Amino acid sequence: MAVARSGGGGYLERPRPSGLADVIDVILDKGLVIDAYVRVSLIGIEILTIDARIVIASVDTYLRFAEATNRVDLLQTDDSQGLPELMESMTSGGAKSKTGGAIEGIKDALTGGDEDEEEDEKEKETSKPRRRSSSGSSSRSGSSSRSRSRKSS
Amino acid sequence: MYVYGVLSDADGADVSARGVEGAAVRTVEHAGLAALVSSLDADALAAARELRAHWRVLEEASKRATVLPVRFGTVMEGDAAVREQMLEPNAERLTALLGELAGRVQLNVKGEYDEDHVLREIVQSSPPVAALRERIRKLPEAASYYDRIRMGELVAAEIARRREEYEALALARLEPVAVMARAEPVSSQNGAFNLAFLVESAEVDQFSEAVGRLRAELGERITLRYVGPLPPYSFAENDLSMGTEAWA
Repeated sequence: MAVARSGGGGYLERPRPSGLADVIDVILDKGLVIDAYVRVSLIGIEILTIDARIVIASVDTYLRFAEATNRVDLLQTDDSQGLPELMESMTSGGAKSKTGGAIEGIKDALTGGDEDEEEDEKEKETSKPRRRSSSGSSSRSGSSSRSRSRKSS
Repeated sequence: MYVYGVLSDADGADVSARGVEGAAVRTVEHAGLAALVSSLDADALAAARELRAHWRVLEEASKRATVLPVRFGTVMEGDAAVREQMLEPNAERLTALLGELAGRVQLNVKGEYDEDHVLREIVQSSPPVAALRERIRKLPEAASYYDRIRMGELVAAEIARRREEYEALALARLEPVAVMARAEPVSSQNGAFNLAFLVESAEVDQFSEAVGRLRAELGERITLRYVGPLPPYSFAENDLSMGTEAWA
């Protein structure tokens, strides 16, 4: 029986039933493509796809990495092997809150929080996504999409 | 006519979830195949709402049957078009694909690296990065511009390399338990890998155990998200407009 440790007690590994946020890229990108169909315009989708696919190689990206690298606290692992957890949570707040979040923000706007509460929020999809200040780190590192197949045993 | 997916009609395609724009979902059938559709008047869809409707319809249908999801936002002119342009000319391929996917589900495993953790590792293991970092710290910001770009470039390359290693590791651990695997581009800020697996429904537990072992092996470096079972979105990707002679 596989028991995994991740922040506390062991638990039985099990796939989570999908929240929409978890599968949004799958739903947007995957599925049969049918000849002669018309894809209607989708309000609120363009932004998501563009923003999720910013290419990584740009000066802005490098500068962001440099900034994050400068910020990293090396002492943390040298000195305090016993208590990395606490420090971790303190330092990661800084580097991440600056740059992360643009995509997450849009995802939130798209998917809302929980099930069902979105039906009456008609305008939710038009919520303006924030332009991200530096162009993200490493989203979509090229399209390494490949498929392999293996006969099941 | 909004199109959600295709299943074999023998499987009973009653879907109670409301479709796109709140419309009732019904089927258009041909030769043992059924397309899940609903009427649509709008020529623009509010993605936030309708993405969810699309997903719910497929999710419900796939509880009882194997469904080939059709890509979100697919609209055809009417029943006749669905039958004549989608089902008829592709009947053989759709039937074969449904047969291939029957009794199998998609499970997604995504890995996110902890940025601080990775950056620390890189500074400690790469002398050029460490040296640049020291130099930059001593210089005023304006004077270190090119050094910072250079360091960022090195760091980006290191991250890309690690990402490939993580992806290869995850594939090596999980692929043997799956029928098929697909590596998709990562779609989040600190994404390390984004893998889709086709797994026999009867073997989901074994696959989950392998995921558990991978999670333990990766430890704090990577956070895993393990999602499913899903309809086989990533394995129903055939482009029906290609290789079909019979298109109208």
